[in-house]
Parts: sequence; C-alpha cells; structure tokens
Amino acid sequence: MISQNIFHRIVLLVAIPLLAINSIFAQKVVRYDLYVRDTLVNFTGKTKRAIAVNGQIPMPTLTFTEGDTAEIYVHNKLNEETSLHWHGLFLPNKEDGVPNLTQMPIKAQTTHSYRFPIIQNGTHWYHSHTGLQEQIGMYGNFVMLKKTDDPTFRKGIDDLPTAPIVLSEWTDLKPENIHRMLHNANDYPALKKNSVQSYGEAIKAGHFKTKLKNEWKRMLAMDVSDVYYEKILMNGQPNTDLKSIDGKDLKAGDKVRLRISNGGASSYFWLTYAGGKITVVANDGNDVEPVEVDRLIIAVSETYDIIVTIPAENTAYEFLASTEDRTNSASCYIGNGIKQLKSPQPRLKYFEGMKMMNDMMKMNGDLDDMGMAMSLNQMDMNVVMYPEITGNTKPNQSDNHSDRYNANALGEIVTLNYAMLKSTINTTLPESQNKELRFELSGNMNRYVWSMDNKVVSEADKILIKKGENVRIILYNGSMMRHPMHLHGHDFRLLNGQRENAPLKNIVDIMPMETDTIEFNANVEGDWFFHCHILYHMMSGMGRVFTYENQAPNPLIPNPKLAQRRLFADDRKPHFMAENDFATNGNDGMAMLQNTRWSIGTEWRLGYNDMHGYETETHMGRYIGKMQWLMPFIGFDWRYRKMKMDEQEENLFGHVSKKDNRTAISLGFMYTLPMLVNFQAEVYHDGIVRFSLMREDIPITKRMRAGFMINTDKEFMVDLRYILNKNIGIRTHYDSDMGLGIGLSLNY
Amino acid sequence: MLLFSFTSCNAQMNNAKTVSVRIYGNCEMCEKTIETAGNVKKVAKVEWNKDSKMATITYDSTKTNQDAILKRIALAGYDSDKFLAPDDVYKKLDGCCQYERVNKTTISTTKVVEDHSIHEQEIVSGQETDQLKTIFDNYFSLKDALVKSDSKLASTIAKDLLTNINAVKMDKLSQEEHAVWMKVLSSLKSNTDKISATTSVEKQRGIFMDLSTNFFALLKVTKQENPIYYQNCPMYNNGKGANWLSKENTIKNPYYGSQMLTCGKTIETIK
Repeated sequence: MISQNIFHRIVLLVAIPLLAINSIFAQKVVRYDLYVRDTLVNFTGKTKRAIAVNGQIPMPTLTFTEGDTAEIYVHNKLNEETSLHWHGLFLPNKEDGVPNLTQMPIKAQTTHSYRFPIIQNGTHWYHSHTGLQEQIGMYGNFVMLKKTDDPTFRKGIDDLPTAPIVLSEWTDLKPENIHRMLHNANDYPALKKNSVQSYGEAIKAGHFKTKLKNEWKRMLAMDVSDVYYEKILMNGQPNTDLKSIDGKDLKAGDKVRLRISNGGASSYFWLTYAGGKITVVANDGNDVEPVEVDRLIIAVSETYDIIVTIPAENTAYEFLASTEDRTNSASCYIGNGIKQLKSPQPRLKYFEGMKMMNDMMKMNGDLDDMGMAMSLNQMDMNVVMYPEITGNTKPNQSDNHSDRYNANALGEIVTLNYAMLKSTINTTLPESQNKELRFELSGNMNRYVWSMDNKVVSEADKILIKKGENVRIILYNGSMMRHPMHLHGHDFRLLNGQRENAPLKNIVDIMPMETDTIEFNANVEGDWFFHCHILYHMMSGMGRVFTYENQAPNPLIPNPKLAQRRLFADDRKPHFMAENDFATNGNDGMAMLQNTRWSIGTEWRLGYNDMHGYETETHMGRYIGKMQWLMPFIGFDWRYRKMKMDEQEENLFGHVSKKDNRTAISLGFMYTLPMLVNFQAEVYHDGIVRFSLMREDIPITKRMRAGFMINTDKEFMVDLRYILNKNIGIRTHYDSDMGLGIGLSLNY
Repeated sequence: MLLFSFTSCNAQMNNAKTVSVRIYGNCEMCEKTIETAGNVKKVAKVEWNKDSKMATITYDSTKTNQDAILKRIALAGYDSDKFLAPDDVYKKLDGCCQYERVNKTTISTTKVVEDHSIHEQEIVSGQETDQLKTIFDNYFSLKDALVKSDSKLASTIAKDLLTNINAVKMDKLSQEEHAVWMKVLSSLKSNTDKISATTSVEKQRGIFMDLSTNFFALLKVTKQENPIYYQNCPMYNNGKGANWLSKENTIKNPYYGSQMLTCGKTIETIK
C-alpha cells in the first residue's frame, strides 16, 4: 500500500530548539528555529510536492510554559512567500502572522522572527496563512503548559501523561487545482467518494422524486464535504502507535490526555475510541468541566483536549478520526498489545440528506428552518443521514417530531454539542459599552462563492470597533454548508446557556440555519481577521477584518494600500476552466474565466469543412444577487460557413439570416431556471433576437452525464458523456448543424 | 493484448507475497465472511481453513500489506493475533459464527455491563468492596430498559436487582449507608419484586417512581466515582411530576420513552 517511509527523500535538517535563559528579565525566553523547505512526499505511491518544516510534516510541536517569552525564527527556504499564524494566541497584532494584514509576507530565502510573551495556556496550533500552503504540510501543534503553581491546575487532568495529535488530510492533487475545480463545480471528487447522487442511483434508492425536487429547487448534489482526500493523517501518518509517553509504557488503567488540533484544510473529523467513553476536558485551549461522550466532531481548526482510558491489559485501543463524510480515516493505537478496533461509522444516507435539504430550501434560495430555533450544534440536520442514529432504512417517526434532528435524543450514544461545554471559570465580560453586530453567512454552492452578508473580503469595509468595548456578534448561517468561524487574537464567549460559565472559544462551528451569539472584550488593538477556516472558503473571500478606531500604524505594514490590494487579490482571483470535444463531426468546446461576480467565456463549434462552418460566441457578464441565478451580459458572435445554393436559414420569428459570414454584437441575460436549466435571451445589433434553453451535466448514472440545448434559430443539440477521469470523457452528441458525432472530450 | 488478458484471467498477482496467519472463527459461514472481507481483486487473496484456523494470504506487496488485510477481516468480526474485532460487529455475527475470543483480555472492573446475558458473571465478580455499586448499575439498566419501553427486559433486570439486594452484606456498609439502607430496604424489595412480576410497562413505570425515590436517598449517602444526575419529568403522575436518576446529564425520559424522550430537566447533580 504505502511505504511508511514518507520522508525518505527529505534532507533531514536537525534543528533543536535552543533554550536561552535570560536572567536579566527574570523570565525564560524559549527560542525555536523553523526551516521551511520544499520537499517530496509519498503517501499514496506517487511522489508529490509538499512543504516540510525542520524536515517534518506536521511541523514540530512547539511547547512553552505560561510566562515564557516565545522567540520563533522562521527561515523561509522556499522559492515563494510564506507566513506563520499562531492560531488562538493572544499576542500583539504585528506577531499574528497574516500576510498583507499584520505583516508583509516572508519573502523567499529570508528570515523573519516572531517574539511575543506567552500569557495563556492550553492546546493551540500554528499554520501558514499564505495561499494554500496549509494544505500541503504547514500545520503543527502549539502547546502552552500551565505553571505547576497555577491555581487552575487540575489534579487528575493536568498531570496526566499527555500526547499531542494534529489531524490533517492529504491529496495528490495540487491545492490550487482543487480550488479551481471547486469553483467550476467539477463533480469528480464526488465520483471518487461514491457520492454523485445521480438520477440512476436515486431511482435505485427509491428517491427519484427527491432528486427531481432537488434539481427543481436548483441545487446540485451536495455532500457534507467537497474535497476528496487520499489519506487522513494523525501526526503525519495514517496509522500510528502510542505505546509509551515520556518513556513510560502505557498499561491497563492508565488515563491518557490527548491534545488534538484539527489542522485539516477542509475536513471535519469524528473522533471515536475503542476503549470506551471519551472525556472532554478543554476546547480551543480553554478548560471546560469534564464531560463524558461517546463521540465528538472536531471542526476545522478547533482543538479539543480529551482523556481516554486503557481498559485492559495486553491491548492497544484504536482512536479513530474519520472524515465527516465517513469515507476515510486515520487511526492511533493507544496502549501495548493486540489492536482492539473500533467499528467505522456507517456510510451516509445521501438521499435522506437531499430530502432534508429540499424541505429546508425555499424556491428563492433562502433557507427555512420551519420554526426550529437552531444553535450550538444541538440539532444536527445531518442526523437524517446517520444510520447509527436514524437506522438503516427510512426514518419512521412522524415528520413533526420535535426531536427529529436531535442526535442525543434519538440515538443510544452521546454526541458532544456546544451546549454541553461549561467553562471552569466565570467568563463574564467586564462592564463596558456594548456593540452588537449581525452577520449572515452566505454562499452559493453551484459557483462556490462564500461570503458574509453576500460580500467577500475585497467588497467590504473593515469593521471599526473601540478599544474597551464589548462586541457581541450574532451569526446566522444562511448557506448550505457548515462554517467554522475563527476570530484572531481574542477568545470569545459562546452564549450557550451556561450563563457565567459560557465557554471561551476562538472558533465557532455553525451549521446551516443555526444562529449563534458570541461576545468578546476588545482589548488588543490591531487588524484582526475574522473568517471561515475552511481554507477554500477563506480564499474565496469569506471573512471580515476587525480594526480598532485610532490605532497606531503597524510598523510591519509600511505601505497599507499595497498590502490591502494584495490581501484583496486572494478572493478576486479569476478561475479558469476549458473543455473541448474532439469529435468526428467537429470540435465543440468552451473556455471560461470567472471570479466572485464576473464571468467571461467563449464557446466554439468548429466543423471540419466550410459547410458545417465555424462559429464562436463570447459573453462577458456579471452575476447578480445572492444566488447568482441572473447574469446580464454583452456578447460577440462570429460565424463563417458556406451553405448550399439558395439555402437560407429562418428563425422562429421569421428573421432571415442570409449571411454566411456574420459578425454581431449582442446584449442579453442568462437566468438559471428550476431544474438547473439555463435560459438565455439576447438581442443582436442587427435586430435579430435569440432565446435558448440549455442544461449540461445531468447526472444519469455515477459516470454518465447528459445535456441538451435548443434555441429559436431552430438549432438543437443533445449529448451524452461518460466520465473516464477528472479530465477525460467519451462524448457522443447530435447537433442540428453538424450531425452526429462521437469523440473524446477533454476538460480542464 | 491477447496475452495480457490471458494473464489477468489467470489472476496472477504482481509482486506476490504469501504468508500464513491464524484467524479465529468456526464454520463455513465464517470462511466466506473472512475471505470476502480480505479479498481485493488482483491485490489480495485470502484462503482460510476452518479446521486449522489458518489463513493463507497472498498479496501484492507494493500495493498493500498484511495489517491492512487483517484489519479488514477484523472489521468483519474476526480476531487475528494482530487485531481484535469491534465488539458490536462480533455480537452481530450469526450464532454459529461466534467463536471463542481467546485473544481478548476481559476488562477487569465491575463497570456497567450492558449485555444482559453476562449478568451472572457480574454478580460473582461484584466484590463486597462496592456492593452497592452493583445494585446502582442494575437500577440504571432498569431505567434504560424503561427508556426503551422494553418491559420484558425491565422485568428480568428487576429480578437480578432483587437477588443483588438480598445479597448485600449489611455489616460491610458504612454507618451512614447502613442507616438509609434499613429505612428503604423493605420498600426497595417490594417495589423491585412488583416490577419483576409484571410485564406492563405502564405499571412498571408507576412503581419505578417510588423506586427512584429510594435510590435517590441511598445514592446521596454513597460515595460516587462519577456525578449522578437527579432528573425530573414535570408531566408524569397526572402532572405532579416524577424523578429518576441517570449517569448522563442528557435527558432520556424513562416515564414516557420515545413518546417524549427529551422531556425533563436535571434538578440535582450528586457528586
């Protein structure tokens, strides 16, 4: 399968943290030197590029004790920019590590040093905040220990044997390519995960009507996650053993504390354990009252501290992290001896999920929670897809059951939700002026646009707050996916019904239709990012920047205008796609460049002789509205063909197009109709009008796609395509101009 | 081309490596499950012998390894010397397939034993050091049975509970425990007996109300390892309300079961 020797081609660079004790300041300075280098890895049998720090993936665990001063030297040995963000840490804004916001990027072949006092404790992590580098290796644990004389030191918890675990995923595709494919609604990842949800599969599952209604409501098949990963990793490996901690072998009866960070770029993970219950003792680096559960889901970028027990001798118990869609997992075997496995979670019932989405989606694209006030992950709409909760067949309870989505009420097992987290300390904010903000998390699945209040980072102003005030944010998720929202530089209270013991967090995972309220005291000046931590959502512009009124300029941002332009470039980036069918009757294809709002695209039909002709149509337009169903455009058409003697073409309206050689400009619009049919209307400068209806990529079976086009020029086309891999398909089509053709269709 | 298809028909594996390992199982049905779980076309082939319990595994060493194959087999319910099957999967195996799990080390505490069939063992191992714990566990199992509205199970558990109540050695109880014990004992016995005698879940629930009050008094004077939650359903007993004890803070109402599973709230946490 895989050679476990992942790093066999890495030149190992040994860099031991240098401990420098500086007695003048009567505090310990802990220094780490991090060397960031390109590397090659082999997780799947194919050698691929990755980034390693000090020769390893994940990056080394950095350990400090509260009261230390951290001094971290980042030596960028890459041929590109980088940065490191200290996730969840309280620090001066210029040390926060967001390129073009809190500092300029660390240029290739240069060194940058971060220095800040450690003024908190708990499990956190760090990662690159530059481009998509986090996906290919730049994540690691960041542990800050309590001082032993800390009054909050918990005997039986803080003195247990402890191991750090950072979760992540690996894909053989370049992350830039994944990002591009997501924007082009390529369903190849679904094919790899067997979650296409085609008409054929719908009929087999007795859900034809569900699928029909889903497309009527203009939705594409959805999954709980949309990137396919070849491997899931714990500390850089799909399988690991935890046999001893600090040189002491683990034995029956031992309790082990795991400090777990989710360093995955886009995956949520279910955590389960073969040796019994899991006790949750901290979340996002903050202590909570111990709570026993059977399983928990860890959102992207969250951290949890959990305690597990080794129940019997001569046995190693499987600790399992499975992706939310249950298609893949990583294991850590805790203890010594024969490996006791944990049953994997059963496959999702996708069509039940589709049915649930149909019920929730109004015709105008808004979501309807049907009167259920949802918050704090307590009601999980996805339970309809979980066989372990709702059984293997269709749910039989009545549809108006109030507990329909409550996993803990329906199932035998206890699943952690945010309402169960209770801080060990009083977290009430200091008395101060209050500011209230509301955001709707918005998104468009089909075009992979993710935003807040339908504005991406580059379209919105920074949000001004005053130092000292209490900021309360009410978040509503009106999009169809869950989002882990992360605030830099501050912990916020999540108002979860635990009153003065509301837990402190820096990420709140918010499911579709949920409303959550968070509040924090604005106590550190600077520009602080507040964004969705799913890497591809963040890069699409799902975020905002909080900034303090009248704050001092950041010395690391000498040219704020330039920095802002570069920051905005991330979500303004256009995504390219192209396809061409090399068929027996001609070439048929298109190329498109799109970003959040704009689209420019060209379609062509090129025959092999003059009679079939050659034609191209180019459209440039802007998507309007939250759902982006409407796109007004200007167009440019060119056509050349040689018809037979006296043959003429007449359209439905009696307009006659005489010319074999036609060049025209047009004005028009495109609108997405129910069933995802594109309706297009355009008027040419010579008065000719054209309407057309088109639908592409109708999923017939897992690999078969159909499409059609018909217009008022009495032209029509039908096609059928069989997907071979992510870039190649076999396509047959019939075109009223060019006749029947069969060919190879390539797409990028 | 022809040659190629011929060789693939022959199912010859590239880089083939063959090992012989022990896999625990009983019968022909086991054989089928084991082989289906292990086999991957052109990558792994498993042949298991039900008499010797040995499997011959041939696999393409560049594409997979022994652990991956044995893990798949264990996830189908069959132990080897490297992996133990998950308990829930093993339990779902057909009766004839439930082989003896020689590699499994049993957990050596008297903690919650959910499977009712091994209650007898539990009674034997329930040492007098913590004799009340056994009956508390019986109580929680009884409550779970009522949550599921399973009156038959409730009645069987009540029978066990009665046996265990009678087995309590009073001289081993602490002074405080002893005092409460004497107060509740007769009511405890008669209530438990009544629950075991009926198969009407409605009747059982009515008696369970009283039983819970007895247990609450008893639990309050007993040292608890984990917090116990005293919970209240405001609707039961004609709106007068009824209480019960649970190990979880999450509400699962034993008085109504699935009809109103999450109705109620925790009124006291006993630590």
